[in-house]
Amino acid sequence: MIRPPQNRAGARRMLQQVAAIAGTTLIEAIQQPVAFLILLSAVLTTLLVPVFQFHRFSEDGRLARDSGLSCMLVFGLVLAAGTAGRSVADEIARGTAAAAIGKPVSRVTFVVAKWLGVCGVVAIFWCGVLAATLLAERCSSHFLTLKEFVGSATDPWTLALSFLGVLSALIVAASRHFFWRRRFGVAAFAGVALSQVAVAAVSGFYNRFGELYPLHGEAACECGAEHAHAATELLLYHPELNLRVLPVALLVLFALAIFAALATALATRLQTGAALAVCAGVLILGLAGDALTAGAPLFSLRGLLSGVLPDIQNFWLCDAVAREGRVAWVYVAEAGAYAATCCAICLVAGCLSFRERDLG
Amino acid sequence: MEVEKVIETRGLRKTFRDFWRRPTVEAVKGLDFSVRQGEVFGMLGPNGSGKSTTLKMLLGLLHPTKGEIRVLGAAPSDTRVKARIGYLPEVSHLHPFLTPRETLMYYASLFGMAHGEAVRRTAELLSMVDLTQAADRAVGRFSKGMARRVGLAQALVNAPELLILDEPTSGLDPIGCREVKDLVCLLAKSGVTVLMTSHLLSDVEDVCDRVAILDRGALRAEGKIADLLRKPEAVRFLIEGLSSEAVAALRSEIEERAGCRVQLDYPAMSLESFFLQVVAQDGRLRTFEMAPFLRATQGTREGEGGACSKL
Repeated sequence: MIRPPQNRAGARRMLQQVAAIAGTTLIEAIQQPVAFLILLSAVLTTLLVPVFQFHRFSEDGRLARDSGLSCMLVFGLVLAAGTAGRSVADEIARGTAAAAIGKPVSRVTFVVAKWLGVCGVVAIFWCGVLAATLLAERCSSHFLTLKEFVGSATDPWTLALSFLGVLSALIVAASRHFFWRRRFGVAAFAGVALSQVAVAAVSGFYNRFGELYPLHGEAACECGAEHAHAATELLLYHPELNLRVLPVALLVLFALAIFAALATALATRLQTGAALAVCAGVLILGLAGDALTAGAPLFSLRGLLSGVLPDIQNFWLCDAVAREGRVAWVYVAEAGAYAATCCAICLVAGCLSFRERDLG
Repeated sequence: MEVEKVIETRGLRKTFRDFWRRPTVEAVKGLDFSVRQGEVFGMLGPNGSGKSTTLKMLLGLLHPTKGEIRVLGAAPSDTRVKARIGYLPEVSHLHPFLTPRETLMYYASLFGMAHGEAVRRTAELLSMVDLTQAADRAVGRFSKGMARRVGLAQALVNAPELLILDEPTSGLDPIGCREVKDLVCLLAKSGVTVLMTSHLLSDVEDVCDRVAILDRGALRAEGKIADLLRKPEAVRFLIEGLSSEAVAALRSEIEERAGCRVQLDYPAMSLESFFLQVVAQDGRLRTFEMAPFLRATQGTREGEGGACSKL
């Protein structure tokens, strides 16, 4: 039975336990070379799209945006399910789970803290890939009409800065490891993600020809379609990034949180590979949900599937931002509530499964 | 006066099952035993006798198939009870990427300890297990003995009332073994109840007040070591400085008067004592001192030496 903490001290202790287990899970997960390789692959794949872009999909930057979001979902799924599987199933096998449960830690606290730790890993990954996606879209060839220029232009400066950011993160991580014996994996993982966020922030100070923006509005209006400023307005920063991607990316993050919860629950009984396979199956069936279950009677296999499987299509709205489209924040909030419900169901199932598990 | 029972099991059984819930191994078969407050209780048995399984059931890590367990007056799954227990597993299950300092801070957090208190206890425990110099190196690169010391320190971070040690001297060198035994004795003298298992019979004999011998999951013998080992029909005289003539005369005199055969032997120092004596000459044997917070939080068991008086 799940008992709520009796008093404030009990609640404080539970929060401390959750923070300790989640923090250790986060550090252990990003310490693994495979987690770093997944992030690096996702970021580099996204950043390379503008370099090898042969199709526009009838919109400047769309290929880069769609590819970035796809990388976020697919690589994110592998990272979330793999990390959850490893941090729960492997800890049970290795005995560190038993060592924690041997302390005054309830099994429910353990499972929830593990999920939060995995979500932390996924959140860092998401920040890095989101920034890389925004940068890749900016770096893609765009048709421009400026004072003395009419035609398509890429943004080699930002692209170079993005790759330089990745390289700098690796050099910093290696230096910290060499000189101060700090963990390479942690610094490299966080560094690559941070470097992309930093480049995205810096890119707001110059245009795609590498010229710094003037401070006042009229001249600053060169920055593009969405910046119609008053002539006298002081403008220090020009976010020449497609921020309409943000709600779409947030929906992908919700989907990844569901996969992390599902994998955490499965890993209380299954090995990492099996948990990953089930998550991949749920992704495919969840994306094909409408086609599979449309018009299915309630008491049938297809009806059962539509009731049990999370509808991943709710979280994949890549096309909604095409051609200046937007996703309403109300929809994001509703999808967030749906994701929270799915996560809660998965975690309850995981806690029930783990409660009866012998920890040898 | 009735001494409080810290651990009590009745009809304890554990049957492991396969994926299809078919029984595979009956590891513990109807175990009844109790551990009294303040004693050092040893559990002996060959491999596969059910010692570790029993300990894991006492900690709520394994669910008994049948039977009843009371630990500190409650069910083993009660987290309030676990807050009063220290546990050293057979293999020190540590996160390989954490340093000993981070490991102890992590376990202190699991007990809900305030940061300042956790930092103080961590420093004291690292000093006690002689790992201050290696406090900031990853545990994954440690030798088995060093990892064991970290494991021992984490078992004590909450200043437990009940300490459960599964093979505590496994992987330790003779100096480490001696220090663990010293620690167990010091803790026992300060009122901590200790339940330990070991393959090394001499370890158990040196520190335990009572022992239980398990074989194939069943209890074969239980009681005070002195009672179990006593041979009432035999008497031993220990005399120093007798000449060989005096020995021969004494022997024939006793054989003649008592009408029974006398067996002679010359007691030798144990190899452990000899080894410790040798390394002490090099100054490698440090004086073992318990962490100050452990001394401060425990009481004192007056007038009892138990088996520890041998050390």
